[in-house]
Amino acid sequence: MQQEAVTAVISGLKRAGVSVVCYLPDSLFKPLYPALDADPELRTIRVTNEGEGASICGGVFLSGQRAVLVMENSGLRAAVEPLARMGLGAGIPVVMLMSYRGELGENNWWAIPHGITMEPVLNALRVPYRIVREQADIEQAIVDSYESSYASYYHSAVVLGGGIVR
Amino acid sequence: MKRYDCMLELSRLVSDELVILSLGGSVDEWYNAAPHMRTASLFQQQLGCVTPEAFGLAVGLPHQRVISLDTDGGLLFNLGILATLGNEQPPNLFIVVWDNESYQSIGGPPTHTATGRVDLAAIARGAGVEQSHTVRTLAEFAEHCQAGLAATVPYLVVAKVEGGAQPGIKRKHSDGREDKYIFVRHVEATEGITIMGPSEHN
Repeated sequence: MQQEAVTAVISGLKRAGVSVVCYLPDSLFKPLYPALDADPELRTIRVTNEGEGASICGGVFLSGQRAVLVMENSGLRAAVEPLARMGLGAGIPVVMLMSYRGELGENNWWAIPHGITMEPVLNALRVPYRIVREQADIEQAIVDSYESSYASYYHSAVVLGGGIVR
Repeated sequence: MKRYDCMLELSRLVSDELVILSLGGSVDEWYNAAPHMRTASLFQQQLGCVTPEAFGLAVGLPHQRVISLDTDGGLLFNLGILATLGNEQPPNLFIVVWDNESYQSIGGPPTHTATGRVDLAAIARGAGVEQSHTVRTLAEFAEHCQAGLAATVPYLVVAKVEGGAQPGIKRKHSDGREDKYIFVRHVEATEGITIMGPSEHN
């Protein structure tokens, strides 16, 4: 992930009014995490699994502040239970930013399941999402994700793939 | 020690706090034990989500005391939150774990605390939530509630309570979605903020 993409992510989060970032670090977003930690306008919270991160983001929503859950797309599977309960059961939204592991061109055997399951899991939860592969589209995709989630009071996701993360 | 009696004790100590609570029998019990806290309480049917959600709320409202009413089954579902709290040290989060050593809402099969080997307060202390205590009497419970509500570090009380729910109490009729709106409107009113505002066009 190039520095320009890191900058675009942080610009998008700030334009969307985000103040809290929950994350479980992964390798494709590796330079993003220290940049988030270093930003004085963002409170970062490292979590033990993405389901916990989703739940914390739900609590932040209830406070009136805006949160994002940053993770590898495999984390979506770990977060399904709280996402289903908060989103479908109570209408508490979580906006997710995930790296696209297992995309066409993936050269790690262990990452293949992430590519196979990501879109079916998002669709099973009826989570609107956008896969972004051009750096110029990152910032607006993040802003759009918050517009949707704060109209629907449901989750949404931005997936960064292609040359942005590989 | 009965959970409902503990709730009556806690109810007397709270007024301006926000509460997120777990599923099962404790929902209707808290609804009855603390009627003045109904709009300030988020009733969630979410095993494993309660304390993380309460922590998120505490992060977003650092000047506000937040109470998590969790359970043994709920905390065991996601013990990782204790490590997160140990590192983050939220100064405004008070956690009560109703430990009845069972999954009461489905009829009472035992949780892992039923054997006597698993000590949730010791796990919490090991994870960095140093103020973690187990109580077995109402007097101890009240004492730790007072301390926890005034603490400047995360404070956790495991309340060892009997199984079974308080009989003959009023049932809460709303679902999770209505509960969320009630809670959000309460936070908006008390904080003077907008959380769920109007669309571009109404």
